[in-house]
Amino acid sequence: MKRQVRIQNLGGARAVILHRPHPTVQALTRQLTAIGLEVLVHWPDLEPEAMAADFVFFDADMGHDAQFPWKPGEAPMPMIALIGSEAPGRIEWSLGIGAHAQMLKPVGDNGAYGALLIARAAHDARCALAAEVADLRRRLDGRQTVVRAVTLLAARSRTEAEAYDQLRQIAMAWRVSLEDAAERIVAQAAGGQDDRRERG
Amino acid sequence: MKRRIELGLLYSRTGSYALIAQACRSGALAAVAEVNADPGCDITFVPVERDPGGNIDLYAPLCDEILHATSARHVIGCVTSWSRKEVIPTLEKAGGTLWYAVPYEGFEASDHVVYTHACPNQHLLPLLDWAMPVYGRRAYLTGSNYIWGWEMNRLARETIRAAGGTVLGERYLPIGSLEIGRMIEEIRVTRPDFILNSLIGPSSYRFLAVLAELAAQDPAFAPDRCPVLSCNMTECELPALGAAAEGLIAAGPYFQGETGWPGSGQFGSSHEAAAWRAVQGLAGLLAHRPGAEAESLATLLAGRRSSIDAQTHHTTLPALIAQVRDGAFKVVARCGQVAGDPYLTARRPEMRAASAPVLRVVS
Repeated sequence: MKRQVRIQNLGGARAVILHRPHPTVQALTRQLTAIGLEVLVHWPDLEPEAMAADFVFFDADMGHDAQFPWKPGEAPMPMIALIGSEAPGRIEWSLGIGAHAQMLKPVGDNGAYGALLIARAAHDARCALAAEVADLRRRLDGRQTVVRAVTLLAARSRTEAEAYDQLRQIAMAWRVSLEDAAERIVAQAAGGQDDRRERG
Repeated sequence: MKRRIELGLLYSRTGSYALIAQACRSGALAAVAEVNADPGCDITFVPVERDPGGNIDLYAPLCDEILHATSARHVIGCVTSWSRKEVIPTLEKAGGTLWYAVPYEGFEASDHVVYTHACPNQHLLPLLDWAMPVYGRRAYLTGSNYIWGWEMNRLARETIRAAGGTVLGERYLPIGSLEIGRMIEEIRVTRPDFILNSLIGPSSYRFLAVLAELAAQDPAFAPDRCPVLSCNMTECELPALGAAAEGLIAAGPYFQGETGWPGSGQFGSSHEAAAWRAVQGLAGLLAHRPGAEAESLATLLAGRRSSIDAQTHHTTLPALIAQVRDGAFKVVARCGQVAGDPYLTARRPEMRAASAPVLRVVS
């Protein structure tokens, strides 16, 4: 799969560094400022304003779940692990908390730009996939409703194939998904109002 | 005429792990004295000491000072893994070498560090292999809240589960904390077959003291039923433990009275022995090679027979298991000479057997 890297919008983006005071923080701040980001340093925990950050750099060596105001893996922005100890336990924790990219400590004069782009692309891809999975799951959940709608329509038409075709036509006319159309038909048949409620 | 070679010493003689630092330091100084008194050796070591006093943020600057304010290229020092990781960038920049004489959690093979004490395939794995068939496979894991405790317990968890055992609890304390109440309570309730203790310093001393009180009330927690296993406990900390040390089981490359080590072969503890071996190992690389003191570790090790593995910079060590009986460690098992394998990538037949899939009847 070919993927285009978004290089725009780094200027003015906000990065939060979650790390105790250390030369690594200074070096990383210098790199990020040079790229054009606004940098905030938090320690020992991410403060609520971090929710609005565009990127979070976090210490993988001393980090633990309670430092983050969100659940592991549910970070609303790209996250970059700052790794000193390449110990399996620390890598495992970094992955669990949701690292999209990594930088090795000590941070010197480069590495931040690549990490920003890789983390953002990985975060975008993860979000797109999560949305797709959610949609597919919703449609999977609607299978029973589709069967019921086809059965209802089949009572009025001659065959199941025709009923299914009719359901597709209705969905197209209403400009909704097959599953949503099925749900409305089932609701109508049950005597409920056609509230034309949009789902998803 | 002997060549004078400055040698850095970077140990915290105060702070929560001072006893270990003092043991390492005396081992290093004993070796320096032997090298300097040896008429057959053409070098004299001149120690250059800096003391971070247990403050993590002083290790890198003081290491930098040794490497820049003096001619020393080699530093014997550091106790915690945290401090070792702090000085590695400094060593890389200055082309220096750290000789590290303390057991650690593995997963490192720096071009600028020589590891003269044991890593997990030389301490934790032989210890668990030996202890589980004897005491059982239900474990409780403790540790100080930094990389040593985390990584030891992670590997223990993996090994115990692969052997079909269970981990009943796992709890950490900040370095120096004495809040051991909750650990003790969890142990009292879960009644494990053994406890793996990777606490350090005062946390460990308090933990063992309170556990000994618990054992006095309830024999289910006595060392014959629920021993405490450790990979970092040596003779150097026994005075701080007193009677609470009785029954403690530890893995290590040396215990007092064990024969087979070079030199006089007699040391106060494995910390002393490993630091002694570090200085002697360095002397072996520098002696009779004028100018060698300015060469990098890689150059020094290239094409030479040395006890230090040129790839990993780890050493081959005896894997011993000992128990404190009547106030002193007595060796209870000898698991042979084991080469350091920091990434656990070498084949370990007993490990593979232990990690065979656990088959269950599915009904």
